[in-house]
Amino acid sequence: MTNEHDSVIEELKKHPSALISAYEAVADEVTDALGPAPALRWAQQGVRIASQGPRAWEAATEYFKASPQVVQTIGFTQFERWAESGIELTAEAPVIAASFFRASPRVLPTLAPRHIAGWAGLGRGLSKGTWKSSSLAARFFDVSDELVQQVNFHELQLFVSLVQTLASRSYDLAAEALVLGQRVLPAVSEREELISLAKVLAETSWREVRGSFEAATRVGNSVDRRLRPRYFALSERLARQGLGNVSAFMVESAQSLGLLPQELQTMVLERAEDLADTSAEAVSAFLRTAPNVLDRISPAQLDTWFGRGLEFLKENPDAGIAYFRLESARAETLLDQLSSSIELEKVHGLLRMYSNALAGTEVELQESTDITHRNIGWVSVEFATTDGKSVFLPPTVDLRDTKSENFAWLKVVTTHQVGHLEFQSFDFDFHAPSAGFNDYREGIAEGLGATPGTTEVASFFDLFPVRAMAADLFSTTESARIDQRIVEQYRGLAPSYERVQNDALASRGPIEMMPAQQALMEMLIRQSLGQSSARIPSAYAAQARQLAGLLRSVRNRDATVEDSAEAALRMYYTLSQVPNAFVPLDDWEDADLSDAAFDEPTLEEIVERLRAEAEEQQEEASGDEYESPDDVDYRGDFKPEMVQLLAQMRGQAEPGEEDGSESAQGISQAELEQALRESTEIDFADDAEVTTVAANMMKEMGADAPQNPAGSGYNQIPHVDEEGGPLEALEPRSYAYDEWDFRANDYRPRWCIVQERLAVSGETAFYNETMHSYAGLIEQIRRQFESVRPEMYRKVKRLPEGEDVDLDAGIEALIDLRNNMTPDERIYWRRNKDERDVAVVFLLDMSASTAEAVEESSRESDWNAPGDPVAYTAWLRARRGETARRPYKRIIDVEKESMVLLMNALETIGDRYGVYGFSGFGRENVEFYVIKEVEELFSDRVKRRMDKVAPLHATRMGPAIRHATTKLANVDAKTKFMFVISDGRPQDRGYSREGVEKEYAVQDTRMALMEARNIDITPFCLTVDRNGHDYLRTMTGDLNYEVLPDIMELPRRLPQLYKKITL
Amino acid sequence: MANQTQLYQQHNIEEYFIDKEPFYLEVADEIDIFEAAYAQRVPILLKGPTGSGKTRFVEYMSWRLNNARKRDGRPEQMSPLVTVACHEDLTASDLVGRYLLEPEGTRWIDGPLTRAVKHGGICYLDEVVEARKDTTVLIHPLSDHRRLLHIEKIGEVLESHPNFLLVISYNPGYQSALKDLKHSTRQRFIAIEFDFPPRDLEGPIIEHESGVDRTTAQQLALLGEKIRNLIGQGLQEGVSTRLLIYAGKLIEHGIAPRRACEVAIVWGLTDDHETQASVMEIVTSIFP
Repeated sequence: MTNEHDSVIEELKKHPSALISAYEAVADEVTDALGPAPALRWAQQGVRIASQGPRAWEAATEYFKASPQVVQTIGFTQFERWAESGIELTAEAPVIAASFFRASPRVLPTLAPRHIAGWAGLGRGLSKGTWKSSSLAARFFDVSDELVQQVNFHELQLFVSLVQTLASRSYDLAAEALVLGQRVLPAVSEREELISLAKVLAETSWREVRGSFEAATRVGNSVDRRLRPRYFALSERLARQGLGNVSAFMVESAQSLGLLPQELQTMVLERAEDLADTSAEAVSAFLRTAPNVLDRISPAQLDTWFGRGLEFLKENPDAGIAYFRLESARAETLLDQLSSSIELEKVHGLLRMYSNALAGTEVELQESTDITHRNIGWVSVEFATTDGKSVFLPPTVDLRDTKSENFAWLKVVTTHQVGHLEFQSFDFDFHAPSAGFNDYREGIAEGLGATPGTTEVASFFDLFPVRAMAADLFSTTESARIDQRIVEQYRGLAPSYERVQNDALASRGPIEMMPAQQALMEMLIRQSLGQSSARIPSAYAAQARQLAGLLRSVRNRDATVEDSAEAALRMYYTLSQVPNAFVPLDDWEDADLSDAAFDEPTLEEIVERLRAEAEEQQEEASGDEYESPDDVDYRGDFKPEMVQLLAQMRGQAEPGEEDGSESAQGISQAELEQALRESTEIDFADDAEVTTVAANMMKEMGADAPQNPAGSGYNQIPHVDEEGGPLEALEPRSYAYDEWDFRANDYRPRWCIVQERLAVSGETAFYNETMHSYAGLIEQIRRQFESVRPEMYRKVKRLPEGEDVDLDAGIEALIDLRNNMTPDERIYWRRNKDERDVAVVFLLDMSASTAEAVEESSRESDWNAPGDPVAYTAWLRARRGETARRPYKRIIDVEKESMVLLMNALETIGDRYGVYGFSGFGRENVEFYVIKEVEELFSDRVKRRMDKVAPLHATRMGPAIRHATTKLANVDAKTKFMFVISDGRPQDRGYSREGVEKEYAVQDTRMALMEARNIDITPFCLTVDRNGHDYLRTMTGDLNYEVLPDIMELPRRLPQLYKKITL
Repeated sequence: MANQTQLYQQHNIEEYFIDKEPFYLEVADEIDIFEAAYAQRVPILLKGPTGSGKTRFVEYMSWRLNNARKRDGRPEQMSPLVTVACHEDLTASDLVGRYLLEPEGTRWIDGPLTRAVKHGGICYLDEVVEARKDTTVLIHPLSDHRRLLHIEKIGEVLESHPNFLLVISYNPGYQSALKDLKHSTRQRFIAIEFDFPPRDLEGPIIEHESGVDRTTAQQLALLGEKIRNLIGQGLQEGVSTRLLIYAGKLIEHGIAPRRACEVAIVWGLTDDHETQASVMEIVTSIFP
């Protein structure tokens, strides 16, 4: 025994000393655990290991180090088998064995003992006798512990076989896969499927393997557990069919499936499987768009939609794929048909015009999120509302089953909001008389000694101790008045209106559960919704009749918003006297209030009551505190106080008021906060929120003021003093022009210098691309212009010579002869080619503000834009990559495109035309860029210059127009036109900043246009400035102008206009 | 020349009188203005969009003036109404007159303008900008202090009958620069601006002209008002009172109101589908 032990020591000593010290460090511990005899076996195994080869001692060292822990874990029989496996590995390569031993203490506790040999075998399998393969195998053992803990042995086997496949291509890849597997596999539950998929992918591309592994974790997060095996199977199937980018497919499809609930996932996946046989591409497209599609149509409708797509796919794969990508009109049309929900975006234009027509003013339509995002007091996304200038509507409506019913709902909602504008809810004037009441408002204010509030509405609400109740009463009464006016005036809408009101009625909560005051309030709301009989507390029948009678009194054609206020005031008087206490269920009755009338309280009674209540409020209120009733959804948010506040601030932000003193003392932030705090129209969580909202409102309204978008750009450029004298045009191609000063009612001599430059040349690609992308429109325009061609060849009569004798003129000549008079010689006619003699110049606004992005929304093929913000960003980036040059369209781009289209059309009809751009900074430097001279022939040079038209500085329109006029004056043509295409008002330093200066710019521009007209040039202003209507009206006087509400219309509109004006 | 005397005596000028009172509702003070202008023989320019009642106004004024003369026992002073709708091929001789060929020679025949000048009529040149430029040669001497009509062909100058008055109409809504009234012409006339009547006047007009009931007429007037709010925002011109009346007539004849508005108003107004749809929504809101 001792001998044997000594010989072991001897043996060990033959190797480097690290070995013997490793042995000695653990020998006692192992001996204690195993007993002396097995311990000797153990030591002898170590010797065997060390004797396997040159560096086998390293493996043996690891063997000894690992032993104490391994001994703890497994019995001696297994221990021997373990050592045995180690010896085999050492024979293969000591490095592998070393890793094996090193990993063992961590692996063996979880690995079933029967798999120890198998485990070692897996590692050995990876080794092919080369250095690289050995290191891969060693690596395998290094990462084994985590794998073994999470992955069963079968899966491990599969994984290793995948690694082997990869290793046959590259060991580096295989090593990477090991690490990846160690990281990913534990997180994935469908390892077998994943590995199987990866094996298919490994045949083609390692990148895909990695991608699929990475995607697999996402699948785990988004796809329902039960569906995952099928999902992986599907992916594998697609991979076998040769789908190019499986990992991308997995990422995208997993993400979109993740947006669906489980039952829809099943459905979509089943459909996808149906598609798999026909086209892998289609599967990918379908899975990607499915959530989008299901957003719009019901699952049942999906079958119809899907079925049609499958048919297309079978007929024509490309068409089918486009269909499932939602890139085909057929797919969209069918979706639209199927989808019953109304998207505001789709009916936006329609409803905007409808609202404008009804309101009689320009009303913006926006999604309700647009106002909630602004954080200026509006919070509800699903409610329609208005801020007095715009109407905000819910982005989608799917309350009803059919599209037409949903639209009817939206139309009612829109009409109600517009009704507030049409019937002037927000024009409430505290002092204005009502139509049908004795006016008590002023009397009460006097009686209570109330001071005027921030707004007219606030002054009114301030009269009442319980502001919320007053606001609710006013809101209900006013809404009832609006509803009444609408139904009376728009009889065609009445049926839809009634349905919406009935729905609203049906959704009200049980009235008997409310305390008396609130119940009566609720009764009023129901009355306002058209309920004739009401459930009321018997004790307050008289009060109910009084309230209903008051409500009835505003529901007539003559009532104004002031009547609503007077009625609300009297209602308050009645309602505030009712204690807000619960009423036993037995004490309720049904009453018919359809003929209710009211008794007029006296002013003194009301004042008395309000004063008493205000005092009472200092102490404890009786009954429960008053709570506002549930909203009526179709009526949305009615916030008269906020609207008036905003309107007031807008007025304040707009300069040019003669009475400067008033605008100077506008609302300060502190006053605004105070007003907000008092208002019951907004629920504030805390004071900080009030400050935020107030600040936002201030900012927003300030932003409405005229601003200098080109601001920093040119202001810093040193310039001649504004007050300086006339300028001299010293440089070549620079010209001095007078400028009109409307205050002096005279010209400022040689006030501006126009620098004429040739526009920079770029590529012709822009021109050609535009021609390409507007191919359809170009065809239309060509047809339009061709239709006028015959006019150019119109017969010209009464010519001294021509193609033939004009019969009428001939007869007249004969008559003259018989009458012994000198006949007119001009008796011929001819088709005159030259009759059309038009010269035109186009002035393009190249000011900095044209750099503003144009909202293209759905106009481009954005169908596959994902809804999820993260995915969207990724998508956008991808798209930017495609367009490479610019991610979005700017106003100037649309201007340019339109110009290209028109130039193309002009070439067909042969009008002479010049194209110029203008910008500049300051009066001494008005830049005038020549893109095409009038007499210049159209060529590639022009195309190239067109490309480089870009936003520059400010807009000084007057001199540019004068210069263009000069150019046109030198052209010999019968008819001359000038088109000024701009995006906004004329703006330049010392030309248009605010107040009077804005007027200055407008007046000068107007004068320049008049000058043009005086020499028989017909000017035409086309602007895409949304607010341009008003200033342009002054600017162009009775000149021609048009405002395009939507800049995307420009390419279509410009040629139309040109044709209309000049032909 | 004797022949000619007979001719225009033979001519039945009564045809030009308006016997029955045309229906006209005064919007502002245009009746007084017209009467004053007529009393002073100041030529009148009627400006306004198509279908806003210009022609009807002239008819009404003609009747009104003649009626007053009849009442005062001066029926011989009555002045005929001569209306000429101008078109782009209308030449000066169409207005003044021309020779006709006859087997034995030629015969001069007066044009409508000449007749009006001779008989003291009101000559109404409707849409005068449409006419050829040579007509201005005639209009100018007639519309200033001279009140002369030169008839070159027969070498005559006609001094106007004291009752003669020139009235022209013009629609500034057309944006075509080629069809604008010259300033030298414009400034010989006083101008009465016509716009579509306000809703409470238009209702009775529609009611009277089309025969529909009052409610429907008011609804049509409301529709007109709402549609006109869209001028400049999709519509180049608002709906004319005439179209509203047509819609009323169809309704009166039993066509469902929505359909009647569609064919009489919506489709006539614009070819743009979205605008059509928007206007149709207004129609369906107003008409059940």
